Amino acid sequence: MVTSGFTQSLRGTSCATKQSPSLRKRLFRFFESQYRAESRKAVLRSARNDMFVITLVLLFTVSAFAQDPSFQASVDKNPVAVDDRFTLSFALNNAGMGGGKNLKLPNLDKFRIMMGPSTSSSMQIINGAVSSSVTYSYVLQPKEVGKFTISAASIEADGKTYTSKPFTIEVIKRSPQQKPQKAQQGLSVNAGVQEQLSNNIFLRASVDKSRLMQGEQVNLVYKLYTRVSVQNYNLTKAPTMTGFWSEDADMPKQIQLSSETINGKQFQVGVIKRTALFPTQSGTLEIGPMEITTLVTVRDRRTWDPFDSFFNDPFGRQIEYVVKSEPVRIKVDPLPAGAPSSFKGAVGKFTMNAKVDRQNTKTNEPMSLKVTINGTGNIKVLESPAVELPTDFEQYTPKVSDNINRREAKVSGSKTFEYILIPRYPGKKTIKPVEFSYFDLEKSQYITLKSSEIELNVEQGAAGAAPFVSSNLREDVQLLSQDIRFIKVARPSFTRQGEYLHTSGMFIAMMLLPLAGLAGAFVYACQRQAVMSDIVGYRNRQAIKVAKRGLKNAEVLLNQVASGNDGSSEKKIRFYSEVAKSMWKYLGDKLNIQQADISIDGAVNALTTRSVNEETSTALKSLLESCEMARFAPTSLSLDTMKTTYDDASKIIVDLERTLKA
Amino acid sequence: MMKRFSILTVFLVATLAFAETPEQYFDLANQAYQQSKFAEAVQKYEQILQSGVAGGELYFNLGNAYYKSGNVSKAILNYERALKLMPNDDDLRHNLQLANLMITDKIEPTPRLFLWDWWDSITSSVSLRTVTWLCYCLFVLVIGAIILAMLAPSYAKRRIAFVGGLACTMLLIVGLVVFIGKLHQVNTTDTAIVTANITTVKNSPDAKSSDAFVLHGGVKVFITDKVNDWIKIRLADGKVGWMEQKAAEII
Repeated sequence: MVTSGFTQSLRGTSCATKQSPSLRKRLFRFFESQYRAESRKAVLRSARNDMFVITLVLLFTVSAFAQDPSFQASVDKNPVAVDDRFTLSFALNNAGMGGGKNLKLPNLDKFRIMMGPSTSSSMQIINGAVSSSVTYSYVLQPKEVGKFTISAASIEADGKTYTSKPFTIEVIKRSPQQKPQKAQQGLSVNAGVQEQLSNNIFLRASVDKSRLMQGEQVNLVYKLYTRVSVQNYNLTKAPTMTGFWSEDADMPKQIQLSSETINGKQFQVGVIKRTALFPTQSGTLEIGPMEITTLVTVRDRRTWDPFDSFFNDPFGRQIEYVVKSEPVRIKVDPLPAGAPSSFKGAVGKFTMNAKVDRQNTKTNEPMSLKVTINGTGNIKVLESPAVELPTDFEQYTPKVSDNINRREAKVSGSKTFEYILIPRYPGKKTIKPVEFSYFDLEKSQYITLKSSEIELNVEQGAAGAAPFVSSNLREDVQLLSQDIRFIKVARPSFTRQGEYLHTSGMFIAMMLLPLAGLAGAFVYACQRQAVMSDIVGYRNRQAIKVAKRGLKNAEVLLNQVASGNDGSSEKKIRFYSEVAKSMWKYLGDKLNIQQADISIDGAVNALTTRSVNEETSTALKSLLESCEMARFAPTSLSLDTMKTTYDDASKIIVDLERTLKA
Repeated sequence: MMKRFSILTVFLVATLAFAETPEQYFDLANQAYQQSKFAEAVQKYEQILQSGVAGGELYFNLGNAYYKSGNVSKAILNYERALKLMPNDDDLRHNLQLANLMITDKIEPTPRLFLWDWWDSITSSVSLRTVTWLCYCLFVLVIGAIILAMLAPSYAKRRIAFVGGLACTMLLIVGLVVFIGKLHQVNTTDTAIVTANITTVKNSPDAKSSDAFVLHGGVKVFITDKVNDWIKIRLADGKVGWMEQKAAEII
């Protein structure tokens, strides 16, 4: 935890060529404490893993053993001498390693905070009892002699606020143990000499203007006025410059001395520090006092007698004397409203130049766009101007380099932002003008600088030229922002709540439609089946028709025989076969038997079982027999016999029809 | 049913006296939405719903209006309702996903048997209406095949009709299973969205009982039981507890 105070003290030591032993000792003490804190932390860090395990294992026991948190304030010495430093530490014990927050310091008006806070933490586990402590230390220096109460400080930890006990610290003129140290350095400095010196050596801080705009440069100069011989000086406390960005001017190694007369006294004047300040906020800002420790040579007052001086030490005595400047107040006005969007706090006078290293390039080959800003002003705080690239360019964070000239009264220089661009697709590309805005102090207005548009001609690079370009460099379509999709504006068709398609009347009707079709088809199929299954009845019903048709044929043949008088046996045979066929067919249909299956006797028997009378069946039998006989001896048949046969057949059929139907 | 319908009609006439049809009123609500008057749009959409009509687009737009007026849990509720009616809508899924990103509670669903995921993906990819029509078509095909099998003049044709009818019957059975599942999903009242901004879930249906966990608005819960004004809920990650019924709204 290197604090700003620490760096300040480092700066102080770096310009010291020779340190007083006491200072060295003090610094050493400080380093030592820092080192101890650092090493303690390193140990803690390495132990953290182990500790984690231990913490896990001992979670419950630890909570049982953990001690109550406490917050204590202490000083490393009491009483303390004026101008002597002491350490005020606040220790937060057993409140976890995270430490506390919102440390509220007591009123320390009577002391100067030389550095701090520096934080150190420690943790101990003894027999399972864990004690941790976080210490916040401040190095203080009393301003005056007296007894002062350091009132309660408070800190927040684990959601609770802890306060320390107030205590009293006594500030005495000079600590007794410091005297021997001083004695080594030189003779004790009595009050007379102190007063004598305060008139003869002092430090002055001056600014070239006390009212300025935010971001405007102000030069702060520290001059050491002296009428005594200063052997050496050493910056012991750098001025606090909160609210400023400061740029220390380069100082020559050897301080140039000039003479100046103040109140009739001639002083040697040396500029020991020159700083350019740029306020980063508005309001009344204070530059804290700077303190230097000088090593001056004094001669005792009485030895100023020229007669005595010969016998005294001609080089005088060397004593350490602390010189302090007064704080400086500066009023800073805020920048006027209406800053352009590209304004990022630059104040001064600048020029800008943007250029690419080449205008013709190939895909996947890196190129650079250099934006250089030149001018005077707060050049160091300039931020990189936004560069709007065509979308298919890959852009990396710019490389920033600056070159600041601190020798002149006004800080000037240049800052270069180098953007590395990789075009990914060929074609003519345009880089939009780079914009940079600053506040011009002379014109007291915002000025926006614009570069010209940069035209690029990107050619397709060789495929092998950039093997690193693989498919994973392909970019997804970038979503600019995530928002819900827009509402549906097309007119929907609403349904009643709780009403579904399958319960609607229309749907039910539609369901019934195929069912009705099915039913209809079923009925039709059944009817057809019934008709098909009643083939016997059908034949029965049709038997008389068929028989009559057959007899009609026979009658035609009979008439032909009768009228034609040709008496050919062929016609006669056809007549008889026609009659026989008709008879057999009729019997087959009526009795539901195949014609081939029946004989004359079988037919007669079947007829008898169907209660056909004897007469008819005998007549049928004789008819069928005569028909069979006629087929073998046709010539013997006369026309009359044929007629009788025909009439018999007709009669038998009519008789059978009547009997079988009944 | 008839009585209910007449009551609804009366309601409809009463609430929408100044707009002829819910569709026209829907346009008015959309206009309010487009003019960024989201609260007004919410009110109008809700009025349409109160008149007894429903529609996926209506719930979707209402969800959008709630989302824009900052009520994410109500938005999720209405998106979920819309999802039942139009599960295939891409915009709806996108918006629901986005709204779900904004809820406070992060709930990791416990892994389930993959079959359940399949079933869910099937039932959630089709709407009830589509399944109904699909089943109807299959039903007509089956009937047609039966008729053909009865009346076809030749044996070969009857055979083709029979095989085709059998295949259609199989498909119809699958379709009916999906239909019943879908019907259950649509009619189910066992999922709800927590609409209260924050609610404490108790270990038993009693305000004095110990706190089980705390839920924030927008979380989907499954209702497994109900006692008086308390519902027993289960989260997607398996946590179970009791909460007051008024803190959640059934989808």
